Amino acid sequence: MSAVLLIAIPILAAFISIIVKKWSPYMLLFVSFGLVILLGYLPFEIITIGGFSAPYGISLVVDNYSYTALYVVNVLFFLVAIINVCNYKKLGTILLVSLAGLNGLMLTGDLFNLFVFLEISGISAYIITTTNKKPLATFNYLVAGTVGSILYLLGLIILYNMFGTLNMQDMAVRIAASGATDIEVALPFLLMFIGIGVEAKLLPFNSWVKGILGHSNKLTGPMIAGVYAAASLFVFGRLLTEVFVISDTFMLIISVILAFSILAGEAMAYSSTKVREILLFSSIAQAGIAVLIFVSGFTGYAVLFISLNGFSKVVLFLIINHATEVVGSDEVIDLKGLFVNNKLVGASFTATVLSLLGLPLFAGFFVKMGILSQLFSSGDYVFPAIILLSSVVEGVYFVKLLTKLWYKEDNLPQVKFELPLVYLVVVISLLLVVFGLYFEPLHEQALVLVNHVKGVIL
Amino acid sequence: MLLYAAIILMMLGLYGILTQRNIIKIIISLNILEIGLNIFIISIGFVNGGVAPIFTGQNNLGSIGFVDPLPQALVLTAIVIGVGTTALGLALAKKIYAKYGTFEIDDMKGAE
Repeated sequence: MSAVLLIAIPILAAFISIIVKKWSPYMLLFVSFGLVILLGYLPFEIITIGGFSAPYGISLVVDNYSYTALYVVNVLFFLVAIINVCNYKKLGTILLVSLAGLNGLMLTGDLFNLFVFLEISGISAYIITTTNKKPLATFNYLVAGTVGSILYLLGLIILYNMFGTLNMQDMAVRIAASGATDIEVALPFLLMFIGIGVEAKLLPFNSWVKGILGHSNKLTGPMIAGVYAAASLFVFGRLLTEVFVISDTFMLIISVILAFSILAGEAMAYSSTKVREILLFSSIAQAGIAVLIFVSGFTGYAVLFISLNGFSKVVLFLIINHATEVVGSDEVIDLKGLFVNNKLVGASFTATVLSLLGLPLFAGFFVKMGILSQLFSSGDYVFPAIILLSSVVEGVYFVKLLTKLWYKEDNLPQVKFELPLVYLVVVISLLLVVFGLYFEPLHEQALVLVNHVKGVIL
Repeated sequence: MLLYAAIILMMLGLYGILTQRNIIKIIISLNILEIGLNIFIISIGFVNGGVAPIFTGQNNLGSIGFVDPLPQALVLTAIVIGVGTTALGLALAKKIYAKYGTFEIDDMKGAE
């Protein structure tokens, strides 16, 4: 099976679903499930589109990195789609387009093509977020996203003018061969960094996040905080490891942005009294940590971190947004005692939060431990300090939240969770526990990814 | 020269987005920014005295310089995407007007 089908099938299905509107939800389920199955038959290769060889034509790259990314994004997308398909039947077409855009983002090996897919997935994300019924927040998201992708395009064009290519690998080779100084390439890289940073929720560029995720529903919360966040971070990893030359000046700017992003995100989550805001600020900090690991050069652990984070965020946002829809408020006080009558859901929520914190016996522990030991052994003490500090703050507010949600009192919120949702969150949290005890496969995958990236660079 | 015009347009657009508090004016600023960028891309491929990059019997002698065709193809894509974004922005503006009865962000009550 060719990787082109991962983009072509959802687009084709989207066109058909415009003609036959009634089919669109079933088509969405069928296509997204089919793609997860088809991924198993995907060979590792570099596909050139239209018969033009690599630097001239657009190439799609299927390697270890994009394969893992595709699996994570497609599985997450399918899970979010299957929970929501009955409630948002009108969105079938848009979700199909966004699936095509996300797959394209993971696959493409061409910088301009990346911009096109960024816009396709971005525009579908704006339309998905209109289901929040907060048009002003969506408008802010649209303006921020559009300005971000314009800055990305500007940086890209400057790079094209300097080196005469748009292919990622060719670009890396030519930058190394041309002997361009750090200062010369720092400007276009910074512009592109800002462009993707808007989608990845890094701090100075993420004014849209509060409006979107703070009022999110069962579809937009998991979709934007889980699927889109994972996809944009994977794109970041691709650019940071394969294209960007990280010089001292550029590194300093990025480090300040990331440290600010992590610490301020955790601080805002700590001071927030709404559950959805706690989750969204915590996901800003997590995005910062993921990019930080990429910048430090530990691709394997970064990929594991993003994947676990994506699954965890889907579970947390599904549970909280369902409860919020029933209760009508997302204040911690109004949701007090939520899990007293829903012990199974509560246990999954707790396990996921503990994995996110990186406590032993959960999958998050292995990843965080690996990252920290790698960072320490590379002789860096600032980044581990930031990560440890953020973990402590995270621990305080999440444990505070958990005790409130488990707290027994007379006036309990009456929330019933549907069976598919319960089943999904229980399975994901069980997997987090299983991989926490039996982490050999994760370890192997991390090593494979590290070797792969070394192979490309050398 | 074209380059400077493009950069001035982009700065104008960015200034508009940052300072305007009216939905429609923000969309217009966004368009100015996009147009500035498109002109910038075109100016990258410009060759002084070049001709259109089409192979014909007259001008494939090699003595005449072609302008770079790739930026023109990129701009074509960027224009289409820009139109899509503008259309979506205007649709959202209509929804905002239906909900709040105004285009001024400062006058919207209950909006966060």
